[in-house]
Amino acid sequence: MTESVQRRSGAEGEALPPSSAPERAAAEVAALASGRENSAAARVRELAALYRLAEQLQAAQSFEELYEAALDSIVDALRCQRASILLFDNAGIMRFVAWRGLSEGYRTAVDGHSPWTPDVRDPAPICVTDILTSSEPDALKATIAAEGIRGLAFIPLISGRRLVGKFMCYYPAPHVFTDDEVNLAHTIGRQLGLAVARRKAEDELRNSEERFRLMAEHAPVMIWVSDAQGRCLHLNRMLRTFWGVDEAAMASFDWGSTIHPEDAANVASQIGEALAGRRSVTITGRYRDAKGRYRVLQTSATPRFSHDGDFAGMIGVNVDITERAEAEEQRELLLSELNHRVKNTLAVVQGIARQTFKQDMISSVALAAFEDRLQALGQAQNLLTQSNWQSALLDQLADLVIKTSGVTRERVSVSGPTILLPPKEALAIALALHELCTNARKYGALSNPSGRIALDWTASEAPQPILRLAWRESGGPPVSQPEHRGFGTLLLRRALAHDLNGEVDLSFEPSGLICRIEAPLMKAPGGFM
Amino acid sequence: MLVVEDEALIAAMVEDMLASLGAVTVGPAGTLEKAMALAASEEIDAAIVDLNLRSERSDPVAEILRQRNIPVLFATGYGAGAVADGERVLEKPYTMDKLSAALTTTFKDH
Repeated sequence: MTESVQRRSGAEGEALPPSSAPERAAAEVAALASGRENSAAARVRELAALYRLAEQLQAAQSFEELYEAALDSIVDALRCQRASILLFDNAGIMRFVAWRGLSEGYRTAVDGHSPWTPDVRDPAPICVTDILTSSEPDALKATIAAEGIRGLAFIPLISGRRLVGKFMCYYPAPHVFTDDEVNLAHTIGRQLGLAVARRKAEDELRNSEERFRLMAEHAPVMIWVSDAQGRCLHLNRMLRTFWGVDEAAMASFDWGSTIHPEDAANVASQIGEALAGRRSVTITGRYRDAKGRYRVLQTSATPRFSHDGDFAGMIGVNVDITERAEAEEQRELLLSELNHRVKNTLAVVQGIARQTFKQDMISSVALAAFEDRLQALGQAQNLLTQSNWQSALLDQLADLVIKTSGVTRERVSVSGPTILLPPKEALAIALALHELCTNARKYGALSNPSGRIALDWTASEAPQPILRLAWRESGGPPVSQPEHRGFGTLLLRRALAHDLNGEVDLSFEPSGLICRIEAPLMKAPGGFM
Repeated sequence: MLVVEDEALIAAMVEDMLASLGAVTVGPAGTLEKAMALAASEEIDAAIVDLNLRSERSDPVAEILRQRNIPVLFATGYGAGAVADGERVLEKPYTMDKLSAALTTTFKDH
């Protein structure tokens, strides 16, 4: 520190006295020369200036107004003709943002010069009585002197102890800064620092709000905000267009009146529950658009809360799924029609068989067996239709076949993991299980009152899962190898093995029939296992 | 027993089955018009009605029968979901045993 530079401690607020006798003398001379008022009058004037500044900073509508008010206050309170305000830019470099009485050449020459870095905490003002006697580099001294400046001060602009910039006041002659002046300058600096920081924060908030408002407004989905009672607060452009609502009429818009009468009760009860429980909800319903057409909207709504945690209402997105819903309906209709046709055809086949093989040609037992098989096929068909002909669950299939084969469910234990079968495999297994059930009922474990059947299966792990299914009869009459091979055996041994691309083993153990099926498990289309 | 069925072979088979069960067939009617006429005029104990007749639903027939307090058994390939709750459904294809059981229940309930 040189003798001509006064550094003040911000915390103590006290000036270091000029340390040399000549300087003290010079200070007194300067004070007299400036014709300083007595201190009481000066204090009143300072307070008035600070009050005015505070008012103007508060009222400023832009950064420009803010700077002008501050410069007014600085030149007035510190009795200098020239002053400037500089702020750190985003790169942390001090830049001129406003000035009075400075040439462009000067501003360019000293731009970026700062005694402080942005990370300094609570720096104190720096006052230079005379630049020519300071320890600054000669080049800088020459630049400043060439601008006609001798005395100058760097006053930090501080917001929350953080340095945001500085203001400068310049004097044409050497200037000894009194305690009062430095205190006053420091106070102005603090006020200005706070005002700049507040203004920046407000701008950022406004920009951010505007950005998000634009995003919501122009997003290619329908977005809405409701209050805690479900009343409309805001609709974005796409939703306003959908309903044909003006921005001005939005708050009084009764969206509920556009719901299709058949969907109104359901939508109202779901949204009511979500509002009461303050939870997210997804609702599908038909709404009348501006052209009077009903469109299917899928609404996903989520509760929103104020800063205090109070429930403020819902915010939601509507997606028009009309085409999707129609396509789905069409597909279901088609599938149901197909199912009906196929089963009707099975019934026709049954009718043909009855007409072709009149009682004299074929036993009624054989005909009944045939009809039973057709029926098992029809049941498997039903199950596949329920899953859009993508897959059938093995346990459901087993239950269904056992039930329709007239077997007492209590005498068959079924166990195994959840397995999805593709359509072809499902049909093959349904027919096979039907044969096993029928056989058991006629000759096997279910032909007496005490026999039992255990049906279980396992599936090995991927990449190539293998299904192992076992049908074990026990407690039935003694079993012997059948003398002739009927259709049932053929179906099991040949057709099943073929359709499943696997192995089927039938062993007529004395204790009961055991049928083992081992086949690669194909992935069901659209299956999730 | 009124039989309403638009597939001739199925109709013949049902007739057969009913004969084996000792029932006399009225009809069979293959169109909605004929079915409604028979439903309104004939002496019938019960009716087996195909839900779809040449792409028309046969509900009007069932309505007439209901008004006459005659039990109806719907035959369909659509599955049980195709008719209102509480209606009796016989899923196609069905066996004689199933038909017999369904008729027994129908008469018992009625």
